[in-house]
Amino acid sequence: MKKTGSILASIALAASLLAGCSANGGKQDADGAIQIGLAAPISGTQAQYGEAFKNGAELAAKQVNDAGGIDGKKVKIVIQDDKGDPHEAVNVANKFVTDKDILAVVGHFNSSATLATAPIYNKNKIVEISPSSSAPAVTNAGEYTFRVITTDAFQAAYLADWSKELGYRKVALIYEQSDFGLGLLDVYKEAAPKNNIEIVAAESYNPGDKDFSTVLTKIKEKQPDAIFIGGFYNEAALIAQQAQKLGLKTDYIGVDSLYSEALLELGGDAVENMKLIGFFYPGGDNEEATKFAEAYQTAYNSKPDTYAAYAYVATSVVIEAIKHNGADREKIKEYLKTLHDYKGPTGVLSFDENGDVVTTPERLTIRNGAFELYQ
Amino acid sequence: MFLQQLVNGLTIGVIYALIALGYTMVYGILKMVNFAHGDIFMFGSFLGLFFMKHLHMPLYLAFLLSAAATSAIGVVIERVAYRPLRTADRIVPLISALGVSTFLVSLAQKLWGTEMHPFPTAFGRGTVTVGSITFSEIQILILVLSFILMLGLHLFVTRTKTGTAMRATSMSLTNAALMGINTNHMISLAFAIGSALAACAGIMVGIYYNAVYPTMGYMAGINAFTAAVLGGIGSIPGAMLGGILLGVVENLGGAYISTQYQSVISFTILIIVLMIRPTGILGKKDINKV
Repeated sequence: MKKTGSILASIALAASLLAGCSANGGKQDADGAIQIGLAAPISGTQAQYGEAFKNGAELAAKQVNDAGGIDGKKVKIVIQDDKGDPHEAVNVANKFVTDKDILAVVGHFNSSATLATAPIYNKNKIVEISPSSSAPAVTNAGEYTFRVITTDAFQAAYLADWSKELGYRKVALIYEQSDFGLGLLDVYKEAAPKNNIEIVAAESYNPGDKDFSTVLTKIKEKQPDAIFIGGFYNEAALIAQQAQKLGLKTDYIGVDSLYSEALLELGGDAVENMKLIGFFYPGGDNEEATKFAEAYQTAYNSKPDTYAAYAYVATSVVIEAIKHNGADREKIKEYLKTLHDYKGPTGVLSFDENGDVVTTPERLTIRNGAFELYQ
Repeated sequence: MFLQQLVNGLTIGVIYALIALGYTMVYGILKMVNFAHGDIFMFGSFLGLFFMKHLHMPLYLAFLLSAAATSAIGVVIERVAYRPLRTADRIVPLISALGVSTFLVSLAQKLWGTEMHPFPTAFGRGTVTVGSITFSEIQILILVLSFILMLGLHLFVTRTKTGTAMRATSMSLTNAALMGINTNHMISLAFAIGSALAACAGIMVGIYYNAVYPTMGYMAGINAFTAAVLGGIGSIPGAMLGGILLGVVENLGGAYISTQYQSVISFTILIIVLMIRPTGILGKKDINKV
């Protein structure tokens, strides 16, 4: 009796396992979701940008799914954590390219990771579209590498022109020791002489550094008209605050990486009047930006930063490509090559022959603790 | 500029020293590097932030409560993650410590999110200028409070009975136990004091940089550990000296050579010191018990 019982039990178990298998298999066939990879620093020192990526990309997918998906199929964002580390990014890229269901990859966050993974994506002929890697080197990373952010070269040159208009003669640079920061430094330095700007100091820091008192004490001696912060908003807020504590009074300029509510929150009155280039500015003339900001607010109960907006745009153009050209890796690339004047929250964009975005920035400043168009 | 940089260096140096004390006290007794200590520092900072931001407590109360809560966390960590492994091979508690470190960072990310939080205090924004040096209020607080805490610890360890018992425990766990000292209590106490000091450092760093975030313990921990080794790990005055020295060297090196090489300079000094004095500046030679 006992024996029969155990045999029955094992048959039941086996049956349920088999049933489980077929149920899973069936499910996958039935919904056949359209899968887009998202490679983002979900953990590690850049985790907060990873979170912005995730929110932006998932919002784009959700909006399409709520509207019925693509030909009735849902869009699914498959997230892999690259920890913001180029080594880890390579592992992530290898995982994505070998998964045939992944049609394109949105990512990576930092330029170092994007550059490290570009050969893998290009060899396997799958689109890698970075929301945020702005290092000039990404231009030549391959024909499957796209980005929706302008190059640092473009932004730094634009900023040099603007610095001249603002009447700056002596500018100090504080830049991040990375492909990103060095890219900004090189271009700004080169553009400075023809704009009558003297670079009085160029000091670097490592991503994640918190103490800028040494650098700022050095810079204070040089009495610059402005400090160009070639880094991210967290460091920009720290720099402005620590400068205030050291009694250093100067202007600050920067690129779109500074655009975030966190800059205002962390920086307080120290970041007042900071001038920066922005592509994503809700509340201005760009209706898409305002709509996106509202949808984001509803979905996450917080204000989106630049990176959430870029991730949203990058995911949206991939979705557009699939809508128009079908769920095929190669055809997505073909579509992006011809994409022209796409209207999104970060402005009207097209891609040039290198996969670089072509768009016009806005000039922003901070007044009374809020971002405003600079006039 | 020299004096200003010296002040900047001292400020960060005493912070290193406070954190380094936690490493050194635990190492002194258990011969174990508590790699989770940097993250305990981070937790102290977050708890201080929590008490001030959500419970609207004044700064001094946030210091006291965060120090108390963080020392409790330190004691619990020792009880749960290290004590069961005390007789295991030395590498085992080390791995356990790394696990605790990852756990604490992930927990903080879950509880408070991955982003940086500003410290909600107007305190520390003002500045005092003496000659060519500008002190911010928070720098003054850091220097004064750290000095008081270190002096307090020194008096406790050298002048009280419990302090003497703690030193005895660090000399020899077995002999101290034979003398009737409850060594488990002493170990818990070392964790409690170390964690409380780290919590105070955490809050001060939070205000100084106006930034609190889950991964803040990583670099702070590495630097403080370096300071402890530089001063002679296991030695309390050594940790203080090592911290201050590291902070000052880092700042002056950054000022007169290049900020890019700040860490290179401090680690070069560390290597040189260790080559000349392998036990660190004030470290005593460890007598191997057979």
